Amino acid sequence: MSIVSGDTQRVIEVRNLWKVFGSGSHDNAISRAQAGESRADILSSSGQTVAVRDVSFHVGSGETFVVMGLSGSGKSTLIRCLSRLIEPTRGEVRLNGTDLLAMDNEALRTVRRGQMSMVFQHFGLFPHRKVIDNIAYGLEVQGIDKETRRARASEVLRIVGLDGWANHFPQQLSGGMQQRVGLARALAVDPQILLFDEPFSALDPLIRKEMQDELIRLQKSMQRTIIFITHDFAEALRLGDRIAIMKDGAFDQVGTPEEIVSSPATPYVREFVNDVPRAKVLSVRSVAINAPAPSGARTVRAASKIEAVIPMLLERDEPIAVVDDDGKPLGIVDRTSIANILSAEQR
Amino acid sequence: MNTIAVASPRSSRQRLVIGSGVVAALLIAAQVIGSASFPSNWYAHLADPINDWQGWLRTNRTTHWSFTVFINPLTDLVDFLLTFVEDFFTWLPWFIPPIVVFLVIARRKRWVMATCAALAVIYPGVVGVWEQSIETIALMTVSVAISVILGIPLGVWTALNKRAESILRPILDAMQTVPATVYLIPIVLLFGIGKVPAAIATVIYALPPMVRLTALGIQQVPRSAVEASQMFGATRRQTLARVEMPLAVPSIVTGINQTVMMALGIVVIATLVGAGGLGQEINQTVRALSPGKGLVVSLAVVAVAFVLDRVSLALVTTPGAKVASLTRRQLLLIVIALLIATIIGRLFGWVEFPFSWGKFFANPIDDFVLWFRDTFSFITRPFNDFIVRDVLIRTRSLFNTTLAWQLIVIAAAAFSYVAAGWKMAIATTIGLVVIGLSGMWYDASETLAQTVVAVVLSIVIAVPVGVWLGRRPKVETAISPILDSLQTIPPLIYAIPFVMIFTVGPVPGVVAAVVYAIPPGIRLTALGIRQVNPESIEAATTFGASQRQVLWGVRIPLAMPSIILAVNQMVMMVLAMAIIAGMVGGGGLGYRSIEALTGANGAGLGIEVGLAVVIMATILDRLTQSAARRMQAPAAQ
Repeated sequence: MSIVSGDTQRVIEVRNLWKVFGSGSHDNAISRAQAGESRADILSSSGQTVAVRDVSFHVGSGETFVVMGLSGSGKSTLIRCLSRLIEPTRGEVRLNGTDLLAMDNEALRTVRRGQMSMVFQHFGLFPHRKVIDNIAYGLEVQGIDKETRRARASEVLRIVGLDGWANHFPQQLSGGMQQRVGLARALAVDPQILLFDEPFSALDPLIRKEMQDELIRLQKSMQRTIIFITHDFAEALRLGDRIAIMKDGAFDQVGTPEEIVSSPATPYVREFVNDVPRAKVLSVRSVAINAPAPSGARTVRAASKIEAVIPMLLERDEPIAVVDDDGKPLGIVDRTSIANILSAEQR
Repeated sequence: MNTIAVASPRSSRQRLVIGSGVVAALLIAAQVIGSASFPSNWYAHLADPINDWQGWLRTNRTTHWSFTVFINPLTDLVDFLLTFVEDFFTWLPWFIPPIVVFLVIARRKRWVMATCAALAVIYPGVVGVWEQSIETIALMTVSVAISVILGIPLGVWTALNKRAESILRPILDAMQTVPATVYLIPIVLLFGIGKVPAAIATVIYALPPMVRLTALGIQQVPRSAVEASQMFGATRRQTLARVEMPLAVPSIVTGINQTVMMALGIVVIATLVGAGGLGQEINQTVRALSPGKGLVVSLAVVAVAFVLDRVSLALVTTPGAKVASLTRRQLLLIVIALLIATIIGRLFGWVEFPFSWGKFFANPIDDFVLWFRDTFSFITRPFNDFIVRDVLIRTRSLFNTTLAWQLIVIAAAAFSYVAAGWKMAIATTIGLVVIGLSGMWYDASETLAQTVVAVVLSIVIAVPVGVWLGRRPKVETAISPILDSLQTIPPLIYAIPFVMIFTVGPVPGVVAAVVYAIPPGIRLTALGIRQVNPESIEAATTFGASQRQVLWGVRIPLAMPSIILAVNQMVMMVLAMAIIAGMVGGGGLGYRSIEALTGANGAGLGIEVGLAVVIMATILDRLTQSAARRMQAPAAQ
């Protein structure tokens, strides 16, 4: 996926977002959390759970922003705060510059009908409706007539590769196919923003991989703004333009896959990074040594992954020139520099 | 940490010893100081205000605004509906209803079921109770329709609104535990005698399952489906109409089914206030001691229930069900054909059911029961005498003359504490004292004695059979229709053959209660045994456990919560039956409730009886339920 700078056009902007669950006033829980008290302490003394803790980020147009965290990290709550399926306790959510939290129900419905849709972990399909009517649901609640919405639904059905399944019921489909329906249903309303709440975690590993490829393929042509929740670090690396690692309701680190893998900010993030095959994630740029390349050296593009140069170095132990897209030299890589970065994995 | 861990079992054992010592001391003290039966001069005169109210109603019924504005129009409306449905069915040629029922069910392409249902429609005619069953059908149709119309919105409301739920839940609980004979009293006071109070009583009785199952259906809709609907910008109403309600349909259908069954259960009791119909007929067979006719008529009740149930199921569309698709033209043709058939039937006077073979079925059954009584009197007489003389009368005198009432209260409280904690202990204490204050101590102890005897007999029969059946799923599927249909027969019917066999008294009630209570007991026990995790059984088998060890060491302990629930169900059913058994000379609270309903100034007495029954039912219910929960707790952790 293309790396888009989040600064170009901020489709979603979140500032100092908090969500506290539990009865009574939440001010106390928030100020205690701000003073640095842990979630567990606040829960045991007040019965309130700080699910999202002072989270700020922004997502640019066409960007895929992945929030990765383990269960209980608050990631599902966070994504529901972005659409106000759960009302945030404090903070700001801006959608194309408009304050989402200030909207009345009517305005919020308009946003949900046109601007954002969501794909759910357990698909969230309506078992009493045929596939085609599941997909057309978003259009149906907008009051669009049956013919138009069915036509649109068939179109999306073809896009996700489920031609011919329109008149089945969801439970007659496999898990992977059901989630394709979920995806088609989200796409049918042609939203600017797609929210994914662990959409592939209920699927088998092979199907999951297939669905990830499908999403990458679709995103190449659609260029939507995507916020994707997952507990699978490998999935985050594959899909994300930028990744946020979430723990105990707060972001530990936000960055591109490469930034996170090459310099994990906390021991917690390092835990995940240690299991990652770096050669597949890190680009040649990050290991290039600032030295002039010998004349006649082979060249490699800076954006290539390390795994691409390993066979070249095995073939012939000579430095390789690293060049940018225009062919300008940036430095070199050799066996030693690659071996150094790969051995860092073993720590 | 270590010291605490070591100390705690010792201190809890110490506490147990001290606790039981204190209880023992209290018990002895109570027995020494206390008085035998509950002091009669403590009677709280709860009945008086109620009786005053009854008197007030008598004088003001025609003038007061609550009657002229509210109750009288309501009476008129229900009366109009009942009369309309009844007149319509009476007017209709007899062969039309079976055809319609057949067509409605055949639309589901279930031909056998459709044929059975059509035959069930004809059955009451064949046995000669066609008119009575029309009265009953009218009563049930109207009350079930009202229950459904009221119940679905109430159910939706409780599902979506926590406060509504907290208000409605205790009311629904009360509506189901108060014996029908008791709440018939205020209804009679307000609405008089006749079919309208019967219909209203039926609605009250049948409404709770409708509300509960609707609410359950809505609450069971997957959260993600609701969220998805919200995410697409559906309004609250759109989500309800397009997602939640359709997904709640199966549960709502079960609710309608349950409502029909509940309504059916009250048919016999409703005759006490003049409902007429099949219930009236059954009541007469009880008086005439004719089990044959009783059975034949009860089967008519079952047939009516069966038909209403199947038709209501067929009318509701569940997603993905097979339906024969009819064009509008075909539908029109069918309707026209039916209309022509109706006109022809009216013209030729084929309106009443043409024949009656009631005696043909009834007489052999009567003869059989008489033969059974005479042949087996050498068993039944001693059994009867043993239960009455050695069990019931002894228990009664134990509760009323031997033991001090203070001792009984303390013992019950201590038992409640052990089984369900201190809150239950306090509730039990208060409950028992209130029973005493309302002057029902003696009758309650009699009912309790009968209940205990019947429950013990039920457990002894149902639990072993259930355990046996739980491991034989094929046998269970084979006999479950029999168990199910046993449950649809009105409880009073069970009593008739036993009255003939054992003579009037408490024993037929006890035996009938056992027969009434064991089917659900067997079902729940078998369910528990069957649902034991197969991995646990495999694990035990792998360690070389014998069949017997697997049964006693794994299956039964793991099925224990289910077995306790089975006991709970049996207790509740026996108690319900003990009340009904009052109609066949069972004595106790049941007899008092009938006395209250038929007596001149019965309202106050009725309330006292009702209070005592509800207290007993609640205590027994909560005790067994929390016992089940305690047994489940370690597995859940």
